[in-house]
Amino acid sequence: MEGIGYVIGVVLPYAAVGVCLAGSLYKISFWARAPKHLHWELFPYPRTTAGKLEEMVVEVLTLRSLYTYNRRLWLPSLLMHWGIYLLALWLLVLVTGLLSAGFAGMLGTLGGILAGAGSLWLIFRRTGGDLRQLSSPVEYLNLLLIFLLSFGGLITGFLGSTAEVREYLLGILTFSPRVPTNPLFLWEILLGELFLIYLPFGRMFHFAAKYFSYHRVKWGEAD
Amino acid sequence: MRKVFDDYRALSDEMLRSNEVRVPHFLDAMKKSLDRRSNWTFWLPYVLSLDVCMKCGTCAEVCPVYISSGRKEIYHPAVRSELIRKVYRRYFTWPGRLFPGLVGAEDLTEDKLDALAESIYRCTVCRRCAYVCPLAIDNGLIVREARKIFDAIGIAPDELKEKGTRKQLEMGNATGTPTAAFLDIIEFLEEEIEDQRGYKIKIPVDKKGAEYLVMHNAGDYLAFAETVMGAAEIFHAAGVDWTLNSPDTGINDAVNYGVFFSDIEFTEVLKAQIKTIVNLGVKTLVVGECGHAFEAFKYLMLRLIPPSERPFEVKSILELIDEWIREGRIKVDPEKNPEPVTYHDSCKLGRLGGLYEEPRRILKACCKDFREMEPNREMSYCCGGGSGFAIMTKGDFLKFRMETYGKIKAEQLKATGASIVALACSNCKGQFREIINYYKLPLRFAGISELVANALVR
Repeated sequence: MEGIGYVIGVVLPYAAVGVCLAGSLYKISFWARAPKHLHWELFPYPRTTAGKLEEMVVEVLTLRSLYTYNRRLWLPSLLMHWGIYLLALWLLVLVTGLLSAGFAGMLGTLGGILAGAGSLWLIFRRTGGDLRQLSSPVEYLNLLLIFLLSFGGLITGFLGSTAEVREYLLGILTFSPRVPTNPLFLWEILLGELFLIYLPFGRMFHFAAKYFSYHRVKWGEAD
Repeated sequence: MRKVFDDYRALSDEMLRSNEVRVPHFLDAMKKSLDRRSNWTFWLPYVLSLDVCMKCGTCAEVCPVYISSGRKEIYHPAVRSELIRKVYRRYFTWPGRLFPGLVGAEDLTEDKLDALAESIYRCTVCRRCAYVCPLAIDNGLIVREARKIFDAIGIAPDELKEKGTRKQLEMGNATGTPTAAFLDIIEFLEEEIEDQRGYKIKIPVDKKGAEYLVMHNAGDYLAFAETVMGAAEIFHAAGVDWTLNSPDTGINDAVNYGVFFSDIEFTEVLKAQIKTIVNLGVKTLVVGECGHAFEAFKYLMLRLIPPSERPFEVKSILELIDEWIREGRIKVDPEKNPEPVTYHDSCKLGRLGGLYEEPRRILKACCKDFREMEPNREMSYCCGGGSGFAIMTKGDFLKFRMETYGKIKAEQLKATGASIVALACSNCKGQFREIINYYKLPLRFAGISELVANALVR
């Protein structure tokens, strides 16, 4: 067990972050190196940077497209996305130690609950109606991964117990990694590593693709 | 005809080359379509649309075919895209090669190829779905790319290729009208104007160095002559230096069916058109009431042809009329069009072209009772004539157009209570003519130019 713990807790974090970074860079440059395609924009679209920023922020924070045109998916999707945003914030707050530990724990717990509930709800939504015929196993696996990650984070206490997690993460960041004392955490860490390795290569990377499909295609591009 | 996808057939067995082995050729052509250099014209939106669909189904909620068919799975826009994505994943991605079942990858068979070929001719590439997609994924673009792949292996509707782009390049227009007949038509239209309005105007043809060359969809001369006459009256009233052109000068047809199915055909037609325009030495090309021709000249041309090779301006006739009314160059009286008028936003002019205000300002100036159709502008429903459908009728295809797109449009029209629907696109006109017949609607369609000419104060 100790060997496995060392691999998961000490070696894999660097490997996962490395793969995630390299993969992201590869994917982004794959799209960024695209030749200028023929004009293919859709009207109307925001013309100013402020206008573009506004539309982007509103879409990211409220999922307005789903709200307007596909209400059935809006709430579960919104819960999941906000859960993920909160978890990202939790990570940031925890590592920087900017706000109180209690607050960080609250962010993590709330993020875990929202992301877990949202992803589970989406799995059920996907099993019925039009979406069932459209879904291949990988769609369920993506949601399941998010569900396990958030649910696992909650039941192992990873998202709530701040001091020990912070110490572990700081150890990683300062290149003095130590295997966490709570063996349950290793499960959560392993899931997190799988998530990082998979992220750039799956459809969950849509947040980056979206930049290109909006800025370069739908919103046109200055000549 | 043999059933390959649904109850309709856009492509005959002969066009499908169904007695040949096509799958390997299809895969070769698809491989080329995925190469960023050989398919640079649409590579980025294409690969994004293939790779990052989250399968939320938002596209389906706004798709006219899917909605009007009673939500039939085969007409779901993302299900259609999946037909091509499954092939893409199976043959061109590692996860699809290794774990096809897991990621939704499937082998292509000759039967599936038939179904795919038909399926991509059930979508007009109206891009309403792309407009609402949270990720801006474009099912319409996937359809168009698939049409390109099919064309590359010799499968395309004869209406668009043999009797479309090929004929246009050979005869100067896709209607196959030779110069003598064209000049007869012009003479006839001059007489018609005199009979209707009581004044004589000369319609200039092939005038070199004119300020404006008006290029209509050549089909308008035969099917929607009121639009051509209206435009002539407007240009005459504006007192500008303008001309039409005959096939003697090269291409005298604004259409470019390559927009619908092939970048190669598109480029060839476009270059022939540009050569004609440059030889005539005109300052401005005025695109008549034709949606896809506007898209071609206003947008698609820009990165394909270097500016030095296209030394002329491009304007839609709508932009020009709108300018002239606002400048007071032409005077119009809305009392002359007293009936309630509504406007249908052509996809190519609106969602793809950005002309929302121009037609509305024109119609409000020229008609006493202008009414919006709901929904409109960027959420306008495609009429069902787009991407070549307006000229495709065999294999019960007209019924498909009427029972899907047409059904929605008929309901929208009825709800406005208008007695005239104003249209600015020939494909729309072709489709509305059928919708009005099929659903026995108590209204008529009219070109914008026709309504403006009718409102002219001389």
